[in-house]
Formats: sequence, C-alpha cells, structure tokens
Amino acid sequence: MKFHKTLHYEALPFENPLSLDRRCYQNLAQETRFFQPRASCPLPSSALPTREAISSPPREDTSDHWSGHLHQYAAHLTIINCCTISMEEGEGSTASKRGGGRLCFICNQRRPALKRPKTQEQICRECFYVVFEEEIHRVIMDNHLFKPGERIAVAASGGKDSTVLAYVLSELNRRHSYGLDLFLLSVDEGITGYRDDSLETVKRNEIQYGLPLKVVSYKDLYGWTMDEIVSVIGLKNNCTFCGVFRRQALDRGAALLKADKLVTGHNADDIAETVLLNILRGDIARLSRCTFIVTGEDGPIPRCKPFKYTYEKEINKYAYFKKLDYFSTECTYSPNAYRGFAREFIKDLERIRPQAILDIIRSGEDFRISTTTRMPEQGTCERCGYISSQKLCKACVLLEGLNRGLLKLGISRANGSRRHDVGHPKPEAKRPIIQNKPCGTLDF
Amino acid sequence: MHCKSLKNWDASKSQGLPVFGFGVAFVDESTIFPTPSNVASNIIEEISGIVSELGHALQELHIAPIETAFCKDLVDGQNCLRQLLDNITDASGKEDFVQYLRMLSLQKIAVDNKYTKVVLGSCTSKMAHQIISATVKGQGFALPADLQYVDTRQEIPVLLPLRDCNAQELGKLCFLDGLKTTQVFSWPPAGINGLVSSFIARLQDENPSRQRTIVRTAEKLKPFSFNKFTEGYYDFLPSIVRAKFQHVKHEEPEPKFLCPICGSPLSESEWKNVKNNNKCPSELEFFVSQCCRSCNFQILPKEKGKLELFYSLLPSSMTDRVEGKDCIGRRWLQEQIEEFLITDDIDET
Amino acid sequence: MVGGGGLDLLCNGVKIHHVDVPHKDQNRLEMRDLLAWVQSNLIKERPEMFIKEDSVRPGVLVLVNDCDWELCGGLGAELEEKDVVVFISTLHGG
Repeated sequence: MKFHKTLHYEALPFENPLSLDRRCYQNLAQETRFFQPRASCPLPSSALPTREAISSPPREDTSDHWSGHLHQYAAHLTIINCCTISMEEGEGSTASKRGGGRLCFICNQRRPALKRPKTQEQICRECFYVVFEEEIHRVIMDNHLFKPGERIAVAASGGKDSTVLAYVLSELNRRHSYGLDLFLLSVDEGITGYRDDSLETVKRNEIQYGLPLKVVSYKDLYGWTMDEIVSVIGLKNNCTFCGVFRRQALDRGAALLKADKLVTGHNADDIAETVLLNILRGDIARLSRCTFIVTGEDGPIPRCKPFKYTYEKEINKYAYFKKLDYFSTECTYSPNAYRGFAREFIKDLERIRPQAILDIIRSGEDFRISTTTRMPEQGTCERCGYISSQKLCKACVLLEGLNRGLLKLGISRANGSRRHDVGHPKPEAKRPIIQNKPCGTLDF
Repeated sequence: MHCKSLKNWDASKSQGLPVFGFGVAFVDESTIFPTPSNVASNIIEEISGIVSELGHALQELHIAPIETAFCKDLVDGQNCLRQLLDNITDASGKEDFVQYLRMLSLQKIAVDNKYTKVVLGSCTSKMAHQIISATVKGQGFALPADLQYVDTRQEIPVLLPLRDCNAQELGKLCFLDGLKTTQVFSWPPAGINGLVSSFIARLQDENPSRQRTIVRTAEKLKPFSFNKFTEGYYDFLPSIVRAKFQHVKHEEPEPKFLCPICGSPLSESEWKNVKNNNKCPSELEFFVSQCCRSCNFQILPKEKGKLELFYSLLPSSMTDRVEGKDCIGRRWLQEQIEEFLITDDIDET
Repeated sequence: MVGGGGLDLLCNGVKIHHVDVPHKDQNRLEMRDLLAWVQSNLIKERPEMFIKEDSVRPGVLVLVNDCDWELCGGLGAELEEKDVVVFISTLHGG
C-alpha cells in the first residue's frame, strides 16, 4: 500500500483556458497536480479527473477528453499542486474506525474531519483550511473586489462571520500581497449585556490580528443608545430602529476611517435567505440587487461580501477548528429573534440538498428583472446628507420620531399595541414568520 | 385540479368571445403509483362521473395512461417508464420528471384529437410552489417561462387561466356550485419539493395573501418570446378588445435553447456549456450538454453506463428536441457576427 | 460535551458538561441515545432550538472528537468513554 504525502499546496491561478492544451495537461499529470472545483463550478466533482486518472499515464483519447472538460471549466478550477512520495505500509493505518477508515480526499493522508457541503468530499482539517481560504481568494480575485493600496474596513460585530472574515482577510492580504490596509469597524448600539461583551471580543481581535479598530456608537451619532430607545418604544419595532441606524453608522464609521470599501461577513446562507425573503415580500428592486457581490457603488462607500459563496456551516467549522475568538450570544432585545422561517427552510434544504444554497443564489443572479419595473431614485437626505430616496433618510425620520415622542413615525404597519402594555400576550400568533434578520447580524 | 379547471369553463362563454368546444383529458398515472388496480379504476370512474355531471357543453373525456408519452406500445412504454424512474435517485427529480411526461401525454391527447389548446388548472398556490421550487433548484432564469397565461413552446399551446385563483377559493366555488372533486395520484411529500410544499403551506397560514405576493413578484420577471401567441393571433377579436392584448411587447429575444427534458430556456452560462460541447462527438454527450443544470443534477444519472441506458429509454419526443449541431454552429456564428458588429460600432464612434 | 454558539444558553449557560450517560445496551452508546439523554437532562429551555424530529435541528453542527458526525455515522455514531462531542449552533450571530 502506498500513500501520497502532500508536501505543499499551491493553488495556481488558472485563468486562461487556452493554456491548457494536451501537452500542458500531460505535464500537469506528471507533476500530479490535481484540480479543485471552485464554488461556482457547474461540474460535479465526480466529472473531474481524479488524482489517479491524472497520475496514471493518460491514453491519448482520455487526455483529450479531460482537457476538453477542463477547457470548459477552467475558470472554475484551481490547480492544487502536490508532490507525492510513497510511505511504508502501516504508517497511514492509524485511521480510526470513524469515517470508515477513509482518508482525506485531497491529501489522502490524514483522517477526514468534515464533508464539504459543496462537493461532498471528505477532507481533513488542514486541507479544509487550504480550500476554504483559497476559495475566498478566488472570489476576491475573480470579482476584482480590491485594488492594491485600498483601505478596507471590515464590519466586525464579534460574531463568527465577521471574526472569520477579519482573520481570513488578514491572512490572505499577507499571503497574496493584496497590499490592503485593513481596519476593524464596530458599531456600539449601546445594549448592556450584549454589545458591551461582544465589543470586548472585537477588542481582543484587534490585538490578535493586529488590525486597528474603530468603534462608532449610536449614542455619539444619534444621541440615543438602544437601551434608551427600548425604554421609550418598548420591544416592538426596536429591530427596525437598530437596523436603520446600523446601516448608516457603518457608513459613517467607514468614512471616519477614510476607507475605500466596507466588507461585511454576509455568507451564502444569508444571501440565499435574502433572495427568498425578497420574493416573499414582492420586493423586486431589492431582489435584483441582493445577489450583487458589491453594492452601493453609487453611494458613499461600496460594500462587498467576500463570503457570498461561503457556507455558514463551513465558517462555523473554520472558526471552531481554528479556535478563533468569537462571541455568540443572542441580542438581549430579541431573544426570540431566531431568524424565522425562511432561515429554517434553508437549513432544511441544505440537509437534503447541500447545493440548494448556491442554487438559490444563482437563481437570484439569473432573474431577468423587467426593465419596466421602476427602481427607486437615489437622492440625498435634506438633513444629514445621507443617500435617501425620500426627502429625509430613514434614520432622520426615526430620530425625529424619537425626539418628538412620535413613536410610530417611520415604521410601516405599526399596530399600536406595545408589548409591555399587552395584558395577555399571544405567544404563537404574534411570532413573526417573515422578519428582517434580527440584531446580531450585520444587516444592510 | 384538472377537473376543477375544466368545470369553470361553463361560465366562460362571455360576450364577444367565440364559443369553443372542449373536452376533458385525464392522464392515468397508475403505472407509477403502486395502487391496487381497483383504486385506479375507482378514480377513473369517479372522474367519468364528475365529467358526465358537467353536462351538455362537454364533448368528450379522454383518459390516457402516462406511458402514452413514449409513443410505443403500452407494455413497452410501461417498462421504459419504470426503468427510467428507477434510475432517478432524487425524489424531486422523479416527481418533476413525471410532470414533464404528463405534459407530453396531454400534448399527445391534444394532437390525436385535434384540439388546439391545452388548458391547465394550475392555481396561485401551485404557481407559488413552482416559483419557490424553481428558485431553490437554481432555475431563476427559466422561471418566468412556466407561469405565463400562454406558453407556445409545445406543439399545442398551453394556457393557465386559473393562475390568479387561489386554491381555497376554487375549493369554495366547487363547494358552492356543488361541483365534485376527487383526489388523484400523488407522492407523499418528499425531497426538495416536499420541503417547498410545507414551506408554502406555513406561509399561507401566516398570511393568506402570501402566495399571491409570490406570484406577483415573479410576474415582474421578463417572460420569453414563446409566452404569447404569434402576431395576428388576436385579429379575430373586436378591435377595442384587441388593443388590450396587443400591447404585449414583442421584443424579448428568442431563448437560445430549451432543455430537451424540461423545456426550460437555457441561461447564458448553460448556453456557453452547449457551445463548448459542440465538438463532442457522441450523441449522448450532446444531449446531456443541452439539458439544463437542474435536470443534469436531479434527473440524469451520474454514472456513465446508467446514463446511456437512461438516454436510450427516454421518449423520442424528448430526445428529438435536441437541436442539431449545425443549428448550434449557426447560433454561434450569429453571436460572433453580432459581437463584431458591436465592436465595429465602437471603433467608428 | 461542549455546547457553543449560544446553545449553552439552553442549558443554564453552562458551556462544558462532563456527562456519564447511562445506557441499556452495555456495549453500545450511539449518538441518538446521547441526544435523547441531553434533551431530557441538560436542555432547560426551548428544546426546539436543539432538536427537530429525532435529530438535531438543521443548522446545529455536531462534532465527535473534532470530526463531523456525518462522517462518523450520524445518529448511529458509536460513542466511547472520554469522547468529546461538540454542538455548535449556527442559527444566530454575525
């Protein structure tokens, strides 16, 4: 029995399909590189040449066949370079009964620790780090998300998505010399027992990853903390206030940092959920925008989502395996703001068909939005100068409502009864099934 | 649902519109669903009963087993069908595939009996289900094709007059008018389609107009060129009425290709795939390259041997839908020329 | 046993539990037994955040000795003395 030992990985750029003629292919074969499908690869991994197929001397016809395939899918593949040396029998047999004694699909050396939801390959922890990071690198390169010398603010909530994002970006920035200045940007909503704790996490991240941190607070920007707002309006619609304020706070924070771009930790699950919610709400304008990897290019600061194709499941595992320091407590004001029904649907889908999440995103990208559908015109808020389709931006409307004691202003479909003065709450009937993503996420 | 749709036709002899004759078609799927034969014959009896009660306006009831889709003799067709379904591992793939066969059977009934339209009873709930499930399967591009009132992709145009009716309302109507309905064959909810069904049901519980909202969202997506009758079709109408139909824009580009299995127009990236496969020698590879991503994933077997068998069993009406190579070549050339023309323009300005 | 991602909140805020699960069959303890035991002994509130039907709710990650339980046999995964089982909820937090 022989084992391949992986000495090093090197993901090569694989941009030009024409470079892959047969000779080139055979060279590849001799060096026993193999191919890793990217997130966007439409080809099932079973259709790619296996390492065995490549390392065995190819017959003329098969090599032609493969190179045909590879031509087509070149843009979706990463070549992973590995050297092989043979090992004595016995050394590799430590694989336990778990995982059926199989070895990692990529390195064929270590025990697999997880199954990739996108490809169903069983891979070990070390290879997982490599493919996870390289996939994000590909997304960044393919979409030209960054330019050298740019100042990038990472929206950091202390939660797992933004923590992994900050960590991976600082890694990739170093490894691939992006030449970016990275910053952490946090919003302090002023929620005792929640945000103060998660901010501590972000402050530790600042030291751990060596990224400067900027915190902007609702109190400074708007004169109100969420604690104060909730004491006035109660626990109804508080997430609306928080969401509107956060969006603006991030933009203002980014401006203070003189950042060129803001990156957020929205992952594939988030985007798939947003696509569904926009269909359910009939919001065609948002439906057409929500799958863009870069948004707000016409606004003050473009935002981008490098995790657009990254599964939440993998982000979680990455954070866990890497023992990253992140914070995971529900916001105290929305303890039941469990993401609702669309989220649950997505998780159910993922269980029986993992690629469904990417399929939903693809659907969102492919929707042919009729040109007769009117998109709201963008202007600026008369009061604060923030982009707005109305005379006043949402935040200013809400603020005015707060300051003048007109609580319902700016919130559509508010129905009067507030939780603290409802005598007999109706627990089931009142639980919103379709709701905005609650606090704790970096909502747009 | 078929029954429901046709019952309502009684009411539709409205002013100005020509009176038309119609029949009822029922596709018997008992080959697929392991039901005792008496259950199947009971269903058919019930349907004949319901149809005969509809009375005078009705011409005929056509009952055809789903294996008619295969255009072979029925025993042969049954075998093909069983083997095909055995080779589809995905629960939703199976269900969707049967739906495509059902349409083929309906088309065949229509052609054989010289009908000029096929009318389905798909209501808002069914459409909402279709929209969500197409989204989940990555068919966002093709989605609007299946939810327009008119669909002329098939030999006989397919109409969806009940698209804007809610299932509950139809149920009430049947109840009030004393129209009987019956439950026909169906799979227990499973797979992706099953999840979508329960999702839609829960949405409806939460907000009774949610299904309508979903359909309204999807309505705003651009339909395809085949989602309307050809120009001149409405000429028989009085001119005042005609104007209403003629503002439908005729500028949608023809979709490049339709998936031979499900009929979905291929998206830009799927079309690229067809172009790239143009040089592939085998007929099978050629066929596979023209199938949409979703059919590739949930219907076609992955293993080569099985795939070959599967292909050989498919009804000829599916395999014949594959566009010829020269056609692809022509399209490709056309595209190239268009590109050249555009670049020329840029050069000049 | 470790609960992360907020699941600890369902068990009085305790993150790490050292548990001794009694089981009928002397030779085998499977994940399904552990889940049943956890549900009746550790979860103090909102069990629906953890369990759905007979399994963990989709969105909760399970690792047995740092290996995804899907690879160990899911509900049928066999557990032994000193095994470490981690549950991570992915249902909230950004």
